[in-house]
Amino acid sequence: MPKIEAAADSFFEFLGKSYSEEELETVFPVAKAELDGWDRDEGIIKIELNDTNRPDLWSTAGLARQLRTYKGGDAPLYDFFSNAEETFDSDKRVVQVHENIQKTRPYIVGFSIAGKPVDEATLKDLIQTQEKLCWNFGRKRKSIAMGVYRSDLIEFPVQYFGADPDAYRFVPLQMEEELSLREIIEKHPKGREFGPIVANDALFPFITDNRGKVLSFPPVINSAEIGAVQVGDEHLFIELTGTELKDLLLTASIVACDLADAGFTIEPVKIEYPFDTEFGQEITVPYYFQEPAKAELKHVSRLLGEHIDGEAAVQALKRMGIYSIVDDEAVYITVPEYRNDFLHAVDIVEDIMIGRGMENHEPIMPNTFTLGRLTPEEEFSRKVKDIMIGLGYQEMMYNYLGSKKDYIDKMRSTGEGIVQIANPMSENYEFVRNSIMPALLESESVSGNAVYPHEIFEIGKVAFLEPSENSGTATRNYLGFMAADSDMGFNQLNSHVSAVLFYMQRDYKLKESVDPRFIPGRAAEVFCGGKRAGVFGEIHPEVLENWGIQMPTAICELDLDIIMQCD
Amino acid sequence: MEIDMKNLHPLEVRLLRHVQAGEEITTERIVQELNYKVGQCNQAFSWLEGKSCIQEKRRDTQILYELTDLGRSYKEEGFPAERIFKLIRNDGPKSMPEIAESLGLENRDVGSAFGQLSKSGILEMNGERKVTAAADSLPESITILKELVSRGDTAPLMEAELTKDEKKHIKGISKKRGAASAPFKISEREVVVYTLTEKGEKLRQQLIESGMTGEELGALTPEILSTGSWRGKNFRSYNVQSPPTRVLLGRRNPYNAYLTWVKDKLISLGFEEFDGPLVETEFWNGDALFMPQFHSARDIHDVYYVKNPSHAESIEQPYLDQIASAHEDGWKTGSRGWGYSFDHDFTRRQVLRSQGTVLSAKTLPKAKVPGKYFGIARCFRYDQVDATHGADFYQTEGIVLGKEVNLRTLLGLLKMFAEEVAGAEEVRYVPGYFPFTEPSIEVHIKHPKLGWFELGGSGIFRPEVSKSLGVDVPVLAWGLGIDRMALMHLGLNDLRELFTPDIERVRLRRGK
Repeated sequence: MPKIEAAADSFFEFLGKSYSEEELETVFPVAKAELDGWDRDEGIIKIELNDTNRPDLWSTAGLARQLRTYKGGDAPLYDFFSNAEETFDSDKRVVQVHENIQKTRPYIVGFSIAGKPVDEATLKDLIQTQEKLCWNFGRKRKSIAMGVYRSDLIEFPVQYFGADPDAYRFVPLQMEEELSLREIIEKHPKGREFGPIVANDALFPFITDNRGKVLSFPPVINSAEIGAVQVGDEHLFIELTGTELKDLLLTASIVACDLADAGFTIEPVKIEYPFDTEFGQEITVPYYFQEPAKAELKHVSRLLGEHIDGEAAVQALKRMGIYSIVDDEAVYITVPEYRNDFLHAVDIVEDIMIGRGMENHEPIMPNTFTLGRLTPEEEFSRKVKDIMIGLGYQEMMYNYLGSKKDYIDKMRSTGEGIVQIANPMSENYEFVRNSIMPALLESESVSGNAVYPHEIFEIGKVAFLEPSENSGTATRNYLGFMAADSDMGFNQLNSHVSAVLFYMQRDYKLKESVDPRFIPGRAAEVFCGGKRAGVFGEIHPEVLENWGIQMPTAICELDLDIIMQCD
Repeated sequence: MEIDMKNLHPLEVRLLRHVQAGEEITTERIVQELNYKVGQCNQAFSWLEGKSCIQEKRRDTQILYELTDLGRSYKEEGFPAERIFKLIRNDGPKSMPEIAESLGLENRDVGSAFGQLSKSGILEMNGERKVTAAADSLPESITILKELVSRGDTAPLMEAELTKDEKKHIKGISKKRGAASAPFKISEREVVVYTLTEKGEKLRQQLIESGMTGEELGALTPEILSTGSWRGKNFRSYNVQSPPTRVLLGRRNPYNAYLTWVKDKLISLGFEEFDGPLVETEFWNGDALFMPQFHSARDIHDVYYVKNPSHAESIEQPYLDQIASAHEDGWKTGSRGWGYSFDHDFTRRQVLRSQGTVLSAKTLPKAKVPGKYFGIARCFRYDQVDATHGADFYQTEGIVLGKEVNLRTLLGLLKMFAEEVAGAEEVRYVPGYFPFTEPSIEVHIKHPKLGWFELGGSGIFRPEVSKSLGVDVPVLAWGLGIDRMALMHLGLNDLRELFTPDIERVRLRRGK
């Protein structure tokens, strides 16, 4: 979830009035926002945004726009968007895309702003918006990266092309000397962070102006000259490169609308592609590409559980900043330029729901009769638990992930059949348990000071490799129980196993086991209905030593799924 | 401090009642007069002294004569002098070596015994150098010695208790060191002499008044019952407030007991339980929930991938095709889809289940309408383990299917959970965001102790999810964050504690 910091002054200016903390708490849910904190000394409001499909809300201006319309303000009209029918004049502001970048990072979009000098709050907000959009929406710059430049230093047309990483050099931001593109991804902090996105390509994305002066090496770093924007600059050029054209256009629209709300003039830029895109070879940005969307009023009413007429729908949508009309029992919306999250009519239903105010939806109790029921496994487990408790065992609960050391090495096991994690966070959680025994032994190893006898059990899941399954693995419900005391051994445990199976009404047979976890000759395999259903016995002293246990310990482990089935 | 008579042991009671103020109280006396064993007596002294009922008056040094092994054999077989006398009297005169041989004695012992007896004129040597009897009976000294070894066998003899005569004789046959060759060993012991304190006297009076004798019946035994010997006797009354000894018992884990309670609650509300495997595919873990395959929340750092087998063999049809189309162009769900090309290899990639909603999705193809389902599922996230994040944890999730379900019944359902499961006083609904539901609602509750917090998330499954998985009616989906309530219920503030391996901590843990 993105978190943003908004300067309180500028936030309230966008909102048109000041809000108290309580008022913010009340109105924020409309934008699925949460007040995270308010630093009064710095004048900074910290906000968490929960809707990953609404990147337009991740900025001071964007969030304020949503709240302002909800409070009755009119949704702003933006007059600088070109679309399929109408194209604004971009004057000399042209970006030429070269064929050789198509396979690497094919798309670039951009526009310019003018009209007034950039102040500190705007610049800060612009940098924050860029970070949030490119990180959360642009998948850490993989699909969207954004650059801002001093437009006055640029001679159009700007060139976007694939550059030989060893031949092209420039001075990047935060550095004094010229580096080649390859040196940048090896040495520059941003290069090390974002370089891997392009490192395997033969040519790296590169932007220069018409004279060859460098704008940036996207998605990595701007040049230290044209790319070093400062407070007071009056003309800025903003570009976005990436892999998804619609996402790029949407992001450009979001930034353009924010800057327009802040009082800047938006100047269109024409992008010339040498190849076809879904919007043609020439796209003038900002570009409105959204399709109209509709929802049947019947559908709206059905999902919201009350009759919603056309007027009610239109009013609710207006509070969400969406213009709509009603025709033939359906509401048609004009999707705002900065949004692209209407995939289905249900997305319109949600905006109507929020626009009507959550307090206006009255809960009703579900009154359909249905039968409650536990799974047969849960019912079976509960009976087994009753017996274990009657035998004097304390129930335990354990984590299902563990280390090679605990699950394999200490157990004198080969680790055959154990499910391993390909991307472990740490070696402590690298395997899924295939037995409850290591957890029981860990308990014993940390509980030497607890009064004896120790009698503990767990009923839980284990997983192991099972080639006959579609997933190649099986998950089973296991019972594991352990008894440790100075005179504990095979015989006591045998009595307990016999009690469990007697009261569960299962016939079983025992066969001497050669499991290396147990003392030879003091372990037995349990067979139920001809299937191997478990094993129990005295734990081998070598295993006890591995766990640092100094008390005779006996363990039984049973596959409850097998035992349940062999009724 | 006042002493409760009930806290007195019968040994203390009898002792207190037996002694008078001013009298000297010693082990010997109590052993003799009350028939206590020495150990019992010392125990009673130590208890009473601890309660300041008796106090030490002085310490005496006492000389003791302890019977040695040799002395014990004299007791059994008789003193050598006695045996020699008997032999001569019965068998007639014998030479010294003959005596030694028939009695199995050393020559020098025979010699020294003869020396003694001949001095007192009991035996004499005849002309053939054979020993003959000169008197009819043994001297009185032998009788005294025999008496001493006999008494000495039960307890060491105290010098203070011996007669002058006895003292004279016992000294002759006792040694301090090298006592193995003498029938008695001499040792010294400190004897403490106690007297009753004022407090002890007061307590003694109380005992007499109450009629408590220390002879009351202790534990009731089968024998007492079968013989009826309890009749006419009093039972010793116990201090019912004295702390009991600890007992180890078989017991549920309180966290699991809480989860069981939640399950039972949901069963009572008409929900049927579902369950599933720990290893899942990207298909069920995310694709089926309409999370775009290259969504930032699905990047490698959020789920655990299974190393081998890395991919499932196949995905259930027709759901694979339907979900794939829903992602690409919406299929027949009325959606425009995400508009990208669905990756059929990625969808088979195996992961550890990262959200309980997976089980809700898997239930859809076989769900009844109307139907209510739930599950408490173990889930795994790629997270640093700390007080608020576990490597694995439980999620409580469920669905409600029905022609008539809608936003308002969803709000009603959430209200029911808030009241029934969380004991909430107030409920607030706020719009939420989940990739698989639209509209989405978070329910916030005011808990009597925790104040306002988010109880759970919910919504109506997107048609891209429900229709693609074969369901044509609206499906309410919900999840409850019950771990927070479980922690409060158990008085804990660290999630890791829920799965502690420490036996003692679990034994002592109680749920509210």
